[in-house]
Amino acid sequence: MEIRCNKILLVKVLLFLVILLVSGLTGFGCAGTGTIPKGWSGGVVVDDTLFLGSMEGKVVAIDVLSHTRLWEVPLETSEQAAGGFGCAPASTAVAIYGSPAVAEELVYVGGYNGKIYAFSVGKDEPRWVYPREGNLQPIVGGAIVSQGKLYFGCSDGKVYALDAAEGYKQWEFQTGDKIWSTPAIDGDTLFIGSFDKKLYALSATDGSKKWEFETGGAITSTPLVYDNTIYIGSFDRHFYAVDATDGSLKWRSEVEAGSWFWAKPVAYNGVIYAGSLDHKVYILNAETGEEVVDAINLGSPISSSPVLVDDSVIIASEDGRVWTIDTSNNQQSELKNLEEKIYASLCASDGVVYIHTSEGELHALNAQSGTKLWSL
Amino acid sequence: MIGEIWNLIILEPIINVLIVLSHYLFSSFGLAIIALTIVVNGCMYPLTLKQLRASKAMQALQPKLAELQKKYAKDKEKLAKEQMKMYKESGVSPAGCIVPMLIQMPIWIALYQSIIRLLAVTPEDFLGLSQYLYSWPVVYSALPLGNKFLWLNLATPDSYLVLPLLVGGTMWVQQKMIMSTTADPKQQAQSRMMLWMMPLMFAFITLSFPSGLALFWVTSSAIRIAIQYFVTGWGGLVKVTAPKQAGRDKKYKKRIAQVEERPSEDADTGADIVEPSSGQEEGLGYGESGDKSQDRGRGDSARLRGIRRQPGRSRSHRPKRR
Repeated sequence: MEIRCNKILLVKVLLFLVILLVSGLTGFGCAGTGTIPKGWSGGVVVDDTLFLGSMEGKVVAIDVLSHTRLWEVPLETSEQAAGGFGCAPASTAVAIYGSPAVAEELVYVGGYNGKIYAFSVGKDEPRWVYPREGNLQPIVGGAIVSQGKLYFGCSDGKVYALDAAEGYKQWEFQTGDKIWSTPAIDGDTLFIGSFDKKLYALSATDGSKKWEFETGGAITSTPLVYDNTIYIGSFDRHFYAVDATDGSLKWRSEVEAGSWFWAKPVAYNGVIYAGSLDHKVYILNAETGEEVVDAINLGSPISSSPVLVDDSVIIASEDGRVWTIDTSNNQQSELKNLEEKIYASLCASDGVVYIHTSEGELHALNAQSGTKLWSL
Repeated sequence: MIGEIWNLIILEPIINVLIVLSHYLFSSFGLAIIALTIVVNGCMYPLTLKQLRASKAMQALQPKLAELQKKYAKDKEKLAKEQMKMYKESGVSPAGCIVPMLIQMPIWIALYQSIIRLLAVTPEDFLGLSQYLYSWPVVYSALPLGNKFLWLNLATPDSYLVLPLLVGGTMWVQQKMIMSTTADPKQQAQSRMMLWMMPLMFAFITLSFPSGLALFWVTSSAIRIAIQYFVTGWGGLVKVTAPKQAGRDKKYKKRIAQVEERPSEDADTGADIVEPSSGQEEGLGYGESGDKSQDRGRGDSARLRGIRRQPGRSRSHRPKRR
């Protein structure tokens, strides 16, 4: 066999290696920036209309009775959605991660392009956009509306409060790192977690800090307010109960999860149900933090926030399976295997669970039987 | 399956080591990238050295190869045979310059993937990162890693264009150091292409890649330049180079010199490889690769004298290869 390791061969080999390198670098996704942000917005049901952010970057309103699209409008196209080398701007849709908020005929949704939009249902143009000029850092968490104010956290590390009707800034509060958590409100206190490992309690009126509580890891999950206590999971793999009034620690779970707590927990009848990325649902006594029963292994990471339907916890694992946990005996059973990735928060109304999958499908399941009612 | 093995054996260790390094290096992901690049280069030092030496030896053989190609242009089989013989006698393995590169390539790709995954720009990336973490407490408390390093946001391209210039510049220097001048116009064109293509290509890529990756490339190139300097000197970067020789290089050169000194079996054809008119005078051999000193003070006449001292030397009388 003729072996020609001369300069020509070397050049060819080098060229091949460069191509191989670039292929290797770009092989698992968008070159340079990993994957393209796609979003995983959950839904919210108001008066038989479900609002969600679609995978195409649109705000969609669906009549859950006739399961037809009533209205949809895209957020503005974004240059940020396109990467550079190897990332042709195939899609300029703005990714939507947080579930929309609805109040006073307005639908609020935050985009990964760093803007928050308020739409009147049925209108193609937003009522207002914040900021009017330029963009904030990506908005990943959802927004909430209370007492005429819209609250949301941003990747720039700030919590913003806007006038819900006009979109003017009321106040902002700077944390130590980016915020992907959706805020929770209880009376005049706003609770939100940050990547700086802290849980903050802020005055909803003026944004002044009431207290802060530091955990051992970053916080992305949404705090649960239950019985004057804030329940939250952290990247340090522990679950915390913090007094809502003064921020003192009530308990830290003895059990250490195998991975992060990402999803928002739910509480029912003095018991906390917290899903973790280690595939398990931890069932803890709300008063003491002790495990009521051994954690339930669902076989796949849990990043989707569960929902309560009557006395059942409906929870989805990333692999597409939807489970129900009977709170009377804490036994789980599989409701449905949708065979599509699930990251979005679940929502429920009138005994029906709505699941938005990463394939862009919206499925409506009967919460009792698991029967698929419709898909869109 | 292959993906799982890849993750388990290569990707996960690199990701977790990077996190730990970042934790202990003042929570600086930039310093962690530099440190790991140095460590990885240190581990691959023997391979790099082998590759450099093989490339260098191959360059030294170029004049002889050119001679053979010219001589056996019409007889491919004979040409291949002679080339193989020459490689064998000079102790140069053609695979020596390619195999180390092939072994290093997965490491570079893994390092790249680790950096990208740790930068975790998008929520999807960040969520996916959790699947690669060891259950070390330090790993969980250190995340997310800070993206700031000097003037850079490691997750985004350098808006000041300093890194693309550094990436292109260091790669150009590296390419220039391994280049040798040649009289063959075809090879000259290829050399020029390689000299400019790689740096320009990587500088262009850097414009749209995260700075963290560019930092890794710059560090890698700087280390390679340093290693190369100690192996071959400045090489093609300067006209006259200081002699830098390692023991193994001398071995290669001695063997090559022996091959060159050996009268060809086809000497009667007039294609004597030690003729001064061959590549030596044109700087094809050692000159630009920093080995000129090997011949300095000796010259072709000395070599010819050496040959004259052994007029009847045949293959069986060649000095034993070490």
